[in-house]
Amino acid sequence: MLLKLSLSSMRKLAKDYMVLLFGLTISIAIFYMFETLAQNKAFLEANSLISSIIFVFHVGTFILGIITVFYIFYATSFLLSLRQKELGMYMTLGAKKHKITQLMFMETFFVGLTALIIGIVVGVGLSYGIAELLMWQLDFQGGGFQPLYPSSLVTTILFYIALFFLTSIVNAWRIGRKSVLDLLHSGQQQDQVKTSGLRTFLGVVLSVILIAVGYYAMVNIAELMEFGIILATVTIIPGTYLIFISLLPYLVKKLKQNRNLNEKGINSFTLGQLRFRMLNLMMVLGTVAMLIALGLGAMTAGTSFYHNIGIQSSMFHANDVILYEPNNSEKEMLASMEVTKQQEYRYKVTSEGVYFLKTDLESDPPEVMTFEEGSEGFSPTTPNATLSEEEYTLYGGEGMPELPGNWWTAISTELGAGTMFGNRSLFVYGASNYQEVNGEEHQVILAQVDDFTAHLTQLELLNASQKTLAEKYTGNQVEQLGGKYSNYVALKGFASGTIFMGIFLGIAFLMMMASVLMFKLLSSAGADVDRYSMLRKIGVRKTLLVKSIYRELFLLFLFPAIVGIVHVVIGMQMFSFIIIEPYTKIWIPLTLFFVIYGIYYFITVQMYKRIVLPKQV
Amino acid sequence: MNQSVLDVHQLNKIYGKKSEKQFHALNGVSFAMTEGEFVGVMGPSGAGKTTLLNVISTLDTATNGSVKIAGTDITTMKQGQLADFRSSQLGFIFQDFNLLENLTVYENIALPLSLQGVSVRKIKPAVESVVAKLGIESILNKYPVTISGGQKQRVAAARALVHEPALILADEPTGALDSKNARSLMETMVHLNENHTTSIMLVTHDPLSASYCERILFIQDGKLYKEIHRNGTRGEFHQDILDVLAQFASPDLG
Ligand SMILES: Nc1ncnc2c1ncn2[C@@H]1O[C@H](COP(=O)(O)OP(=O)(O)OP(=O)(O)O)[C@@H](O)[C@H]1O
Ligand SMILES: [Mg+2]
Repeated sequence: MLLKLSLSSMRKLAKDYMVLLFGLTISIAIFYMFETLAQNKAFLEANSLISSIIFVFHVGTFILGIITVFYIFYATSFLLSLRQKELGMYMTLGAKKHKITQLMFMETFFVGLTALIIGIVVGVGLSYGIAELLMWQLDFQGGGFQPLYPSSLVTTILFYIALFFLTSIVNAWRIGRKSVLDLLHSGQQQDQVKTSGLRTFLGVVLSVILIAVGYYAMVNIAELMEFGIILATVTIIPGTYLIFISLLPYLVKKLKQNRNLNEKGINSFTLGQLRFRMLNLMMVLGTVAMLIALGLGAMTAGTSFYHNIGIQSSMFHANDVILYEPNNSEKEMLASMEVTKQQEYRYKVTSEGVYFLKTDLESDPPEVMTFEEGSEGFSPTTPNATLSEEEYTLYGGEGMPELPGNWWTAISTELGAGTMFGNRSLFVYGASNYQEVNGEEHQVILAQVDDFTAHLTQLELLNASQKTLAEKYTGNQVEQLGGKYSNYVALKGFASGTIFMGIFLGIAFLMMMASVLMFKLLSSAGADVDRYSMLRKIGVRKTLLVKSIYRELFLLFLFPAIVGIVHVVIGMQMFSFIIIEPYTKIWIPLTLFFVIYGIYYFITVQMYKRIVLPKQV
Repeated sequence: MNQSVLDVHQLNKIYGKKSEKQFHALNGVSFAMTEGEFVGVMGPSGAGKTTLLNVISTLDTATNGSVKIAGTDITTMKQGQLADFRSSQLGFIFQDFNLLENLTVYENIALPLSLQGVSVRKIKPAVESVVAKLGIESILNKYPVTISGGQKQRVAAARALVHEPALILADEPTGALDSKNARSLMETMVHLNENHTTSIMLVTHDPLSASYCERILFIQDGKLYKEIHRNGTRGEFHQDILDVLAQFASPDLG
């Protein structure tokens, strides 16, 4: 009988159950998505630049697990709040307590299992869709990635079944512990959060210490290695939650105590809204902050690796383009780019050797990258050694001296002569000796452009035609030419797996972040509808209600974003030993995040307005 | 002085859409109220009293008929104007209290003043004076869920009275009160009525509360059924009311 009653009321609450299912489903889907990467060892090892990637993903699983536990407990407590008034009513009508607790247990578990089934399907779909999209965007083969990965499936199912079992017990226990009256009045009861000054102070101090230790670990990750990652994990997560737990109630209380603020317009209501479900709010904001940190962090790391390719490929090459025997179309292509420096050198080719004209090199020496002691790194300079002899070879021998100092680099790296001419020896000859060489004379152009990565399409075409030339000289298939572009392509090949992981996870975490915020709003909307209609009755203008909504949600969006972004900015230090300049172009992912987050804020406000504002005011 | 504050003409309210089963909650109700009048509305449960108040207070729309408040037909007013009108001119004591459970008692009472932009300096004394009259000084920092039904009712009354509105609409404000508290609430209202020329319309089932009024409208099945005026003392009026109510009870009236 009780079950029947309960089922019929579940039907009445269909909308709320949809909200709950949505919240749980997204969490499960994201967890699964993460695991498809985390457990695919072969894929990770084949595609990562980070040596301890498996370990990193183990820690990642742990972090996501903790966040998920928090979130699932919070989400299923919504079920409790939905049902307790009615269950209390049954009890006043004579239902036995153990029946009620049993019912609550079954219901929570049932909702959990339903969400699990849907979540897995959604998770597989998302993994597939997002991976396809990214691989296409990044031009990354991603061999070995499997959207339907059996062991991840098993892990996800076991983890969530255990979790739902636990939350079911907790829900049942919590309902069993409450008196009938508490159940009946549950909807109107305010969360009791103690906020003494000392408690807050201690809480804030502790969280600051924890976070500081975590930051220290991240900044010094090169020395601390895996221990540093663990240390950062176990300090930053509790630190983040703690900062919300200790500071938020205190802040709201202080704002409320400021009468000038609180008693102005509708402020008392706006702040009252924040305070009413403070326990939930603290959990949600902590979770959102962590998810922003993880998502934005993964995203930023991914894009940093991407920009790193450009920087790293510039490290050994001062010049961007090498054109041997340029034909007209190649010259046109070169002219179509923003060329900042262009140099030309003559050489002769025979079947045995290649002879560069010394006077050309001396009169307009090519720039080479040199490492200077005390400076940041490599910087372009012109070779300083004088070429006093008449004949040089690149590798010595044949009774000739080896090319001195940076001249060697100029010929082999900047001019990429080694890969172009196959087994031929390379020489630099003075004018008279050059005259005597019996071979075809040609020209090579060295050029620098304003922005290397902006001209990748042209550079690719030039590279292809130069490859054909090299194959003519060597008579073999040429895998890779010298020069900056080839270097870029090779580095990109190494990094694209890592970039893929970063962006894939970034999207996943940020999606979960969005769903957590959405869930928080939708789950409290039911009770808010009544409050907004009361305000309407006492004559509050709609514009004022809207303003209150904007403000309340703004604070909700603001706090976790601040904390999350600080985490990300400091966290990028972790990559400084593998990425040359982790902060270059960090503004790109950050701006992108702000724009999307801002749009999401407005969408959320509009949705919430539609739900809670009375139809006619 | 004898300006009309409220003019209700041929008011009809039909619940339910055309396609559904319709219910006539108000059936051509007409009456007028002059400024500073204290009018009671009585009638059996389901007679349409709350509906009448809701339409007058602009919370609900009439199916047809007109309602003029201080000469303005409220059916022609814009949404924002209506809201401003409600917050500044009307004080509404709801049958089901309608307190905001996320605000303390003090904040609930202060809200209408805050909304009108009354300076913070003036809010506290205003709240304190009204709560003193209603005897709820001791619960100011509590939340609605932790106070008794009668206390809630007095908080709701305090919230409706605090900004000294021009027209108070009260839906059974004494329903949950013992006779002593009921009397002090009624006296507060009479005080406002006499000293601030606040017009009051009061729905009640309680003959004693009703006897504080100057005039009583009796409503049955959505129609105005009878109207009596107070000519003598409150005690005599109380008796008159009881007499009319006795007629309601007798079956031959139909
Ligand atoms: N929203 C609604 N939809 C349909 N019918 C309604 C609605 N509100 C009220 N009614 C009906 O209109 C009639 C009048 O209701 P109203 O609330 O005005 O009664 P009342 O006189 O205030 O009664 P009470 O003294 O019990 O408060 C009742 O029969 C009620 O069932
Ligand atoms: Mg009523």
